[in-house]
Formats: sequence, C-alpha cells, structure tokens
Amino acid sequence: MPLVRTERLTKSFGALVAVDAVTFAVDEGSLHSVIGPNGAGKTTLFNLLTGQLAPTSGRIVFDGRDIAGTPPHGIARLGIARSFQRTSIFPTLSILDNVWLAAFARQRSWRGLAWRRADRYSEVAERAMAVLGEVGLEEKAGEPAGAISHGEQRQLELAIGLAAAPRLLLLDEPAAGLSPEETKRMVTLVSKLKGRYTIILIEHKIDVVMSMSDRISVMHFGSLIAEGAPAEIQRSPEVRRAYLGGFAAP
Amino acid sequence: MSRAWLVTLATVVLLPVFVRHTIATEIWIFAIFGLGLNLLMGYTGLLSFGQATFFGAAAYAVGYLLKHYAINVVLALAIGVAVGAASAALVGYLCVQRSGLYFIMLTFALNQMFYFTAYQWTTVTGGEDGMPGVPRPEVLGLDIHAPLAYYTVVALLFVLALWIMRRIVESPLGKILQSIRDNELRAEALGYNVPRMKLVAFVLGGAFAGLAGVLYAMLFGIVPLEAIGFVFSGNVVFATLIGGSGSLYGPVIGSFVFIWLSESVSAIWARWPLLLGVAFVVVVLFLRGGVVEAWARYRAWRHASG
Repeated sequence: MPLVRTERLTKSFGALVAVDAVTFAVDEGSLHSVIGPNGAGKTTLFNLLTGQLAPTSGRIVFDGRDIAGTPPHGIARLGIARSFQRTSIFPTLSILDNVWLAAFARQRSWRGLAWRRADRYSEVAERAMAVLGEVGLEEKAGEPAGAISHGEQRQLELAIGLAAAPRLLLLDEPAAGLSPEETKRMVTLVSKLKGRYTIILIEHKIDVVMSMSDRISVMHFGSLIAEGAPAEIQRSPEVRRAYLGGFAAP
Repeated sequence: MSRAWLVTLATVVLLPVFVRHTIATEIWIFAIFGLGLNLLMGYTGLLSFGQATFFGAAAYAVGYLLKHYAINVVLALAIGVAVGAASAALVGYLCVQRSGLYFIMLTFALNQMFYFTAYQWTTVTGGEDGMPGVPRPEVLGLDIHAPLAYYTVVALLFVLALWIMRRIVESPLGKILQSIRDNELRAEALGYNVPRMKLVAFVLGGAFAGLAGVLYAMLFGIVPLEAIGFVFSGNVVFATLIGGSGSLYGPVIGSFVFIWLSESVSAIWARWPLLLGVAFVVVVLFLRGGVVEAWARYRAWRHASG
C-alpha cells in the first residue's frame, strides 16, 4: 500500500520541463531513493512534494488525498517533513530551539500559543531532546545553531526533520559536503531510521544508495527512466548509459 | 524576580524624582510604542516604517471620543488598543504579502496615506493644527490631572505592557517569530503559516502602539498631526535600534535615551538631532544590538580582564 504516489507529475519553467510526467509510488515503511545526474529534477520533485512549488499538472496523492497545490505549511502539518540540500536552519536560535520549533509545529493543539511559556510544553521539549540524542547533538543543545560545524549542522538538519515525527521524511542529500568520516556517521544515522519512517532519499553517493534502499527511481532530464530494487537498477543498461557510467559490475 | 525587572521597577519609581514629570511620562509612553515595534522589527525581522499609523489612528479616534462623548479612561484605553490592533490588521494584511524592500515601502506608503487623510479631514482631526482639547478624565474616581498622578497611571501601564510583552516573547509564538526572522523558508516548511504569523505580530505591535497613542493624547491634551507622520515612525525605529532591537529591554532603553536626549539636549543645542545621527551610525556600523549589546560586551570584557 503506497503512502504517497504521484500521477504524471509535471513542472515546467517556461520551455524547461524540470519534472516531466513523473509517476511513482512509495510504500509505507520503505526507503525509496531517487538518483540521477545533477539537474535531473530531483530537488524540484521534492519541492513539488513539499509544496514549495505548485505542479504545472499532475497529482500528488498522500494517504489517499490529493495534496498538489497545498502550501508548504499545510503539507508539513499533514506529516511530511524534509531536510534541505543546502543547510536550512535557524542560525541565531539555539540547537534545542531549532528542533523544538519542528516538534511544536506538529502538536495537535497550539493552545497557549502566545501566552504560555515555551518551556512549559514538556512533551515538546522531551521530543526535541530525544531527537538531539539520536543524532548526537544533545550536549550542544544550548549553543546557537550558527556556531557549530558544517557536519554538525547537517546532523541538525536531519534532526529538524525527525523532530516533526513525520509520516513521510524527505532527505535531500543528507551527506552533502561531508568528509568521508562524517559521511560514514550520517549513513549510520540514516540506516537506523530505516523501517521506522517512510523515507524518500536523494543521494549522489551510489554505494550508499545501493546498500540502503528498498527501491530506487532514476531520473534523467526530468523523466523517470527506471525504477526497481537496487540490483535491478545496477543491471539496467539504460541507467548505466545515463548515469552510472562504468560503475556497475560486469 | 530577575535583576532586569528590579532595575526597571526602581527606575519607574525614581525617574520622577530626577526628571520632569511630563518627560518621565513620555519616556514610558514611547517605550510602550517601542515594545510593539520591537516585536515586529527585532523578533520577526520586519522593519515597519509605519508604526505611527497605529499610534496616530488610536490617538485621533480616542481623542475624538474623549472630547465629544466624554468616555471614561478605561474604555478609552480599551478602544485605543482595539483601534491600534485593527488598523495594524488592515495595514499588515497588505504588507505581509511582500517582503524585503517592498514590505518596508508599503508600510511607509500606507503611513503616508493615513497621514494625508488626517491632514485633509480637518473637521475631525483639525488638520495641521492638530486635535486640541483632549481631556484627561478621572480613573476609577481618582483625579489624574496632576503630572505625578498621570505619571503613575502611565508607569503602571508600562509595567503591565512590559510584562505582557515578556510573556509573548517567551511563548511559542515568540520562538516562531524569531524563526521567521532567521529563515522564513524553513519556518514555512516546518508547518508555520508565515504570512499569518507576521500578521499576528503586526496586530500585537499595533495594539501596543494604540495604547501608547491614547496615553500620548491624554498626556499633552492634543493630538498633533505629527503623531501620525512618518518622522514619528522613524523615531521609534531609531530609538529601538539604539536601545537594541531583538532584546526585550532594548526599546525601553532606547526610549529612555531618545526622549531624554531630545528633551534635555535640545534645550541647550538646537542641532541635537546631529548627535542622534552619530549615535545611529555607530549602532548600525559597530553595535547592531544597540545599548543592550554594548552592556553585554562591557560585562564580558570586565569578566575576561578579571
């Protein structure tokens, strides 16, 4: 049973068709990767799924309802969270506040929004601290988010996504710009999430994608050119031509 | 109770001993005005150059009602807050559709629109002459004509306003507004309706401006045309920046510096705004957090040097 699926989802910017009639489905509880060369339309696809962009045509069905055209804050409230390829955090706020805001946004009720002291929402604070513990940032909770290293900011980026307790988590190159050491840590983190969340992952590091994914969709010039289990994708001649080059086994 | 609160309360009590009562009163009125702007400018990152719109609208509306319908003070204050909030809702609704420079220009342009309305509508506002004869009726049976009595009323309202603002900035809303200031796109992606949150900040800021406007009209017994003019809007921005925008006490300190400077130095030196200009340049170039940051740096420096 797919949690989210798209039907001929299309986004064009003038003459450029960034996402071209993409139809795919992501099963609940699976880790589904989207790969493809730079400019293939992967991030645009994410922006459509999260409402940052409105599709030119096509449908996005999440949990049985069409959500195409819903603004980002509405999509987030439905339980779709994302991390950004270029780190997107609140630099002057503390690390704890960064995740606190993500956790609070998903509270069913915002009672006391403008009056109750923020530190009185113990369940939000607990969730925030738990998530920081999960990514290994709990000791830096009080530091301003702008003051930590790039690697730590990537961890925070992931934590912000997790703090929303999402039904669907979109990870846009979580290991972007990380050192090999940091990448290893990030891969461990993401693989721990597998099974607990439904995840769509954009990633360039092919070995990472091949080892973690349940399914892989390959995009090229805005279109989906292949979809399948990692082994099938590795064998597909089309994919090799478009993307993998000499990577795949003989 | 925190040290900042104690200092504030001590200042409230001692100020009329050292400063002329009218000026002391004006300081707290301007501080209430600044508190509202700071929620927009300091916490939400929205530079509103049109706060006088809400200040002036409330002052005129309530001034008129006080003059012609002799309403009581409690009602006058309530209406002032409501008019401030309502005019801010109207202006804010239009402004939050845009961001950056366009946002600032919209707040300014709408301020000008209100200004010229007040300028032209002489039968109600008195146009260029202002609206004189605003009475200062009794509060709960107490005569507040004496400057010190009125000072007490304003000071109490200021403390109340400061307390309310503290609750707001320490609430989830306070955090949400700061997150919008830091990264609008991310706040939206988390599930916050950014334009609506900005509008809420506008309305709250307008309510504070409205309260200040009414107190101002009753302080001087007149609503001058300047009360709705852009210079007034600029003054509150200057004062807040000098004090330290984005910290709770910044606009309070700023109001203190601004009003005190303008009242005391202007008597000695007519070109005193020059001084203000210098202070402003220094703040913008070296001290973005204003006096509050200067104080924090000084303490850190003293701490470091033992």
